[in-house]
Amino acid sequence: MTGRKLIMNFEVTPTSHTLAEYKARGGYATLGKALKMAPADITKEVTASGLLGHGGAAFPVGRKWGVMKPNPGEIHYLCANADEGEPGTFKDRWILENAPHLLVESMLITSYALGVRHAFVYIRGEFDLPYRRIQGAIDEAYAAGLLGKPVPGTDFALDIVVYRGAGSYVCGEASGLITSIEGRKPYPRNRPPRLTVRGLFQKPTVINNVESLANITGIIRMGAEEFRKVGTAKSPGTQLVSISGHIAKPGVYEVEYGYPWVKFLDEDCGGMLHGAKLKCVVPGGISTKVLTRAEIEPLTLCHESVNPAGSGLGSGGMIAIAEGTCMVRFLQVLLRFYHHESCGQCTPCREGMGWMHKIIDRIVAGKGVPEDIERLYAISEANDGTTICGMGDAAGYATVGILNKYRDEFEYWIANGRSKLDGRLECRA
Amino acid sequence: MPRLTIDGREIEAKAGQTVMEAAREHGIFIPYFCWHPQLSVPGNCRICVVGVDDKGGEWVDIACNMPVSEGMVVHTNSEKVRARRKATMQFITLNHPVDCGICDKAGECTLQDYHYEYNGERSVSVDAKVHATKHHDLSERIVLDNERCIQCTRCVRFTREVSKSNGLGMISRADHSLVRAAEDGSFGRDPYSDNVIDICPVGALLSRSFLHKARVWYLKPTASVCPGCSRGCTVNLWHRRPEWRLKAPGMRTANESIDRVTPLENPAVNGPWICNKGRDLAALLGRARAEVAMLKGRPAELQGAIARARALVASARRPVAVVSSWASNEELAAFKASLGARFATFVKADCQPEPGEVVEDALLIRADKNPNTAGARALFGDAPLAIPPDADLVLVWGEGLDFGLIPPGAAIIHLNAWLAPENGHADVFFPVSIQTERDGHYTNFAGVTSAFAKCFPKAAGVADAAALFPALAGAGGGE
Repeated sequence: MTGRKLIMNFEVTPTSHTLAEYKARGGYATLGKALKMAPADITKEVTASGLLGHGGAAFPVGRKWGVMKPNPGEIHYLCANADEGEPGTFKDRWILENAPHLLVESMLITSYALGVRHAFVYIRGEFDLPYRRIQGAIDEAYAAGLLGKPVPGTDFALDIVVYRGAGSYVCGEASGLITSIEGRKPYPRNRPPRLTVRGLFQKPTVINNVESLANITGIIRMGAEEFRKVGTAKSPGTQLVSISGHIAKPGVYEVEYGYPWVKFLDEDCGGMLHGAKLKCVVPGGISTKVLTRAEIEPLTLCHESVNPAGSGLGSGGMIAIAEGTCMVRFLQVLLRFYHHESCGQCTPCREGMGWMHKIIDRIVAGKGVPEDIERLYAISEANDGTTICGMGDAAGYATVGILNKYRDEFEYWIANGRSKLDGRLECRA
Repeated sequence: MPRLTIDGREIEAKAGQTVMEAAREHGIFIPYFCWHPQLSVPGNCRICVVGVDDKGGEWVDIACNMPVSEGMVVHTNSEKVRARRKATMQFITLNHPVDCGICDKAGECTLQDYHYEYNGERSVSVDAKVHATKHHDLSERIVLDNERCIQCTRCVRFTREVSKSNGLGMISRADHSLVRAAEDGSFGRDPYSDNVIDICPVGALLSRSFLHKARVWYLKPTASVCPGCSRGCTVNLWHRRPEWRLKAPGMRTANESIDRVTPLENPAVNGPWICNKGRDLAALLGRARAEVAMLKGRPAELQGAIARARALVASARRPVAVVSSWASNEELAAFKASLGARFATFVKADCQPEPGEVVEDALLIRADKNPNTAGARALFGDAPLAIPPDADLVLVWGEGLDFGLIPPGAAIIHLNAWLAPENGHADVFFPVSIQTERDGHYTNFAGVTSAFAKCFPKAAGVADAAALFPALAGAGGGE
């Protein structure tokens, strides 16, 4: 077991996602409690809970909300970011498929707290079942009178629209996401202004990750004090970890913050595939720096433990990589992705991603030159903090993380024209 | 009013300004590609980075989207800024073909200037450049070279924010992004489309009419006023520099033609834009010219024609003049001074909207297709044109008057710059100069007067109207 559960705390059955079963588990009771509170008190409670965003940057949810000053008569928007495009991440999908009403209830509570009357779920276009489940849940909520007209006994009414994305990595970036909802090419926007000041359709907008929002119901039900008892002092609550790669039991696990990392991999996830040894692990989506087996040995799964090690828990998309995997090929896969997904708006990322991709392709083709490694470092550095959104930085982090730790594999390939590890990406029995 | 320091100079900015705007207002230069004073801020080229002093040291960000704040200390040329700019220039030129040798923009290209200023090194990349369409027809007027494009999106934003045709957009992603015209052809119908050629910081957008016509350093701009409508946009007429004139026989037309027209920025009239009709001034002013004076359709010496006309003026009992709204203020004043008291004078519209032409819009184009109607009316009033039936002499200045309105039996003195069938029907015909052959002023519909200057000498037989009228006024004027 991976500690206490806040979200995956029920048995998944073919009907467990329905309104009836959600209500039977106590669903929508918290909404009633929330609607009796003052909106500002809900924000206060969320701030007190110390909930950190689960989209990747671990930004305190309460701080984001605090910028919104709910003002009756003024338009505010809420968007649930269900784009989940970070490679290796598929945790929001679990919530959308199995607990869609938890998200709907949380969005109702959040909207009430922030003065929102119109909310969006921006869902990844490739998601089919998750889309049908969340749309089904919203339809059920409309039929039950929870959405669309004032919730009985109050004058609070909310509409939720599910917007299916057109399939781009930058659509998951908050400002790219709202630009996409507005019907334009999802070019991220420059800050300032922050989106909580001027966001969707030029109105103040809060955009939270699905998992962040899903925690709201629990926080209001338990109260911030009880919520903080789960997890660690600096990382309260739990994290949904979606683990994939060379691992025996891939899938989504809810892990209480502070859970030992190696224990999680070796016991809960059943160890490495075919009994292989762990080479390194991508902690939370490919944009976080890889950590070697030795590095994760003393770490626990919480921000205050992982961040000092030079990486981050990011979006919880963990990828276990077995001994014998070629990191040059691995980086090639990542850079192909970043090149393909760069939106092309701002110079460093538009040109840098293609450049890095060309260099790594050339190395893999056996035509690398020794300066290529320094060039990859230089391009990563020139992308760090220079782009409109965080994607340029992310590609640089991933590259630098791998280069720092596995430089010998790159040098070997450049010097010998072939991989040190047969260019293996798979893990054989 | 926030006070801030830029490069050691303390300046007072306006609240709500960005560092870029404040710096420009105080004459401090910060480089930019994508930023444009008339367009929104996309912040995508990343060349305008500046450093700001902070507790944790200097941080670097783009100036075009950085609000000014009290007490901030900005550096436009610190070591960090220079390093960042250099890296950005390396990125921008990474896939640029550097084919300046065959590029029309060479010589006035921002990318060239910045390369020498902020980078100056050869490419550090050994990989092949991204290839894209080298010659893509965006419209009948504009050719796009996608390899040269640095994707600053100025052109896209121009069609969205200024001309409002929404004619351009970006397709594809990353370094495969391409500027493309909307499928509905709205860019081809955009009457302001050619402005994107000027605002393109590189040689990606090219004018088909100017394509490979001349290196810009062989040309010189002469300030002028577009006569296409009563907006009177100020323009630069680019023609061959005298020191670079082509000396081969038969090259007079090449040496004395308008090779291209660009806007001359003027906040009081047209801002930095002009319409496509203004770009085609060479065609408008290049129509076949009348170059010989005529008496009843027969060629005559200019002096003979003046003597005949002077006699007509002297003997007329009821002379009427119809003056041109294409005439300059100077010419109109000369007419008024020498003949104004003698003639009953009306102002006529020389040109009417052509079929298919945009008659009027909210941006620049005006329905009155004559440049100096306001100037002429200021001198001669705005009485509707009505030639009295007992008129015995009619002086017709410029084109556009139906000679059928002239009472039979009345003598006609006609001044025109162009070849036209009416020229031969006049008792006396004078070929006169056009605006590229003399200095002058036009007053636009809003009362703003703009100057134009001479570009070329006029042909030998052609008269200047301003010199002609005193000669026609007889003893008191010319003799």
